[in-house]
Amino acid sequence: MNRREAIRNVAFLMGGALSATTIGVFLGGCNSPSTATNIDLFTNDQLKLITEISDIIIPDTSSPGAKAAGVGPFIALMVKDCYPQDAQEAFVEGLDKLEKQARDQFSKSFLELSQEQRTELLGKLREETLAAIKTEQETLGQQKSPDVANDILPKEKPKTVPRFFSIVRDLTLLGYFTSKIGATQAYEYIQIPGRYDGCVDLKPGQRVWAS
Amino acid sequence: MSNLNIKATAQNTYDAIVVGSGISGGWAAKELTEKGLKVLLLERGRNIEHIKDYTTAMKKPWEFEHRGKITEAQKETHPIQKRDYPYTEFNESFWVNDLECPYTEVKRFDWYRGFHVGGKSLMWGRQSYRFSDLNFEDNLKDGHGVDWPIRYKDLSPWYDYVEKFVGISGQAENWPALPDGHFLPPMEMNCVEKEVKKRIEAKWNKSRIMTIGRTANLTVPHGGRGSCQYRNLCSRGCPFGAYFSTQSSTLPAAVATGNLTLRPFSLVNSIIYDKESQKAKGVVVIDSETKETTEYYAKIVFVNGSTLGTTFILLNSVSDEFPDGLGNGSGQLGHNLMDHHFRCGAKGKAEGFDDKYTYGRRANGIYIPRYRNMGNDKRDYVRGFGYQGGGSRGNWHADVAEMAFGADFKEQMTTPGAWEMGLGGFGESLPYYENRVYIDKSKKDKWGQHVLAIDCEFKDNERKMRVDMMNDAAEMLEAAGLKDVQTFDNGSAPGMAIHEMGTARMGHDPKTSVLNKWNQMHEVKNVFVTDGSSMGSAACQNPSLTYMALTARACDFAVSELKKGNL
Repeated sequence: MNRREAIRNVAFLMGGALSATTIGVFLGGCNSPSTATNIDLFTNDQLKLITEISDIIIPDTSSPGAKAAGVGPFIALMVKDCYPQDAQEAFVEGLDKLEKQARDQFSKSFLELSQEQRTELLGKLREETLAAIKTEQETLGQQKSPDVANDILPKEKPKTVPRFFSIVRDLTLLGYFTSKIGATQAYEYIQIPGRYDGCVDLKPGQRVWAS
Repeated sequence: MSNLNIKATAQNTYDAIVVGSGISGGWAAKELTEKGLKVLLLERGRNIEHIKDYTTAMKKPWEFEHRGKITEAQKETHPIQKRDYPYTEFNESFWVNDLECPYTEVKRFDWYRGFHVGGKSLMWGRQSYRFSDLNFEDNLKDGHGVDWPIRYKDLSPWYDYVEKFVGISGQAENWPALPDGHFLPPMEMNCVEKEVKKRIEAKWNKSRIMTIGRTANLTVPHGGRGSCQYRNLCSRGCPFGAYFSTQSSTLPAAVATGNLTLRPFSLVNSIIYDKESQKAKGVVVIDSETKETTEYYAKIVFVNGSTLGTTFILLNSVSDEFPDGLGNGSGQLGHNLMDHHFRCGAKGKAEGFDDKYTYGRRANGIYIPRYRNMGNDKRDYVRGFGYQGGGSRGNWHADVAEMAFGADFKEQMTTPGAWEMGLGGFGESLPYYENRVYIDKSKKDKWGQHVLAIDCEFKDNERKMRVDMMNDAAEMLEAAGLKDVQTFDNGSAPGMAIHEMGTARMGHDPKTSVLNKWNQMHEVKNVFVTDGSSMGSAACQNPSLTYMALTARACDFAVSELKKGNL
């Protein structure tokens, strides 16, 4: 029971929105060899860049955004510890490309761009990513699934290309909504509820429960 | 010299040895010590002390470095455990390092293990259902497996007995295939579940029912333990003692007798058979830290090392009399391995409840007991399945664009969204002789022991059942008025349900079974096996409550036989 719930809720909690790479990584489906490196993956400038990107994805609103919640360093840690090498490389490459795009289009570093310019670049990146995933899905859909003798076994998930925007967005959502700020100010967190009421009236302004 | 040996032997001698401290081993230790026996409880792993050693139980989400996720380094040392959701940062230390205890997968088998005092009683799902005569008679009726040597009336008083101690919350339903028990007050269904229940039961005129999960979580204080605080963090260990585990329940009872010796880091390698007396005289223990070997002796031995752990020990206990494993004259030891098949069903969205929400995190869901192949219902497969599931309201909104980001998106993510309800089937698998384990001598574990090879698969009966598991779920959700109902089948590998059972089955006949109706070895009368390996069929209910009842019953029999001088 809790198993079903657990799996369902992973997707549900994140608005059904985690990427194939992240679901694979977090549910253990990814078999890529990991990096043996202990060196920090990111320079200080890259860390700043990650932090600013996360703050575009989850900005300050009535509650503080991803930057205030410390999501930047969290993303850097997660990419280093929890993602296989190909995803790490895609992530670093994605950062470099975004920076290059900022310079090509605005002749400035991403860090020097206005909020609107940053949003514009990320919006473009989002569209490119969606298009690339669509193409990939179509290609995968055309490939015949291998004939498995015992069709009850879980199917091996087809390997998909790790994509920078998907990963940075996934980790921003995860990091933010499990941070103290995200859980207690954007969501509502009660450490020890003490009882269960299965049917209460929704209060005006009620936020989603953090778990 | 011989004096020294006699002294050492005396020091290592007990009335009873219990191998394994999980759900059934904890019960054996409690029952035997309470009946006055001096008991040695052997556990291969470390000690975990109740409350004190639940190191993550009170942590807040942001206090986990990786917010619950597993690192690449942990995946490398846990290639099996990582295959499914249970292995997380939240209780990482409760799961085995697979590299230290390898096994051979002739076919895929996901073997989830926790080596520590309490075993999987710390991480279990807590769903607790009685078997009924439908289950005890299925083998006889359809010819799969061998007839159970017991019926519901044999186990019913022992279900009563263990339930009163464990504390099971649930709702009596008077449903023949799922007998009622001694329940603490039930947890509440949420408003969507209540409506779905009403509509399913109306549509099928109560030939299908939906009830709140019967769970070993306390809804009121019980036996000196606190009630559930609705945090839904059970698998980290409960600081309130609000669910049944060895630590919270059976171990303190056994310790209180003054008759218990608990020895962690004690890996039982084999059982010593004495040709003269035709009984077991003790066990060989490997200290799992130092690898030093010691023998311990007792009048009776309870083997409760988990289904496959127990079976390994028995297969590994070879002698001139039992070259193929202790008490294995039948050749059935290691065969008839079962697990539930699951991970398929349906889900949908509930409309009309937008003004309702829940408070608290209920560590429980709903249950729809088996209704297939009962009465006049006849399918193209035998046996049946039950459903577990539940309704919930998260933050899913239909109008959120794919990969959206920004301020509007954030506001939507933090606003309660659609109600969803899902049903996942848990199906019975048959006891196939060829689904088996045996010792693979080509590999060794960290302690120099050979390893198990597991050769197990689901077959046609399970495959056909899964079609119903999906379609029935969708049909019921649609009948309940849910929208956008979708079926799913995520596939199920043996082992994934962590309900492995059946490799040392009970039966009437020593030629076709390993244990008799008292969970006593047909051929070695002072050895009892009362964990999942003793099961003659799997039914579709979660099995742990049945292991508890079988254990308490076997302990009562064993002590009475001991007193009569029969052991």
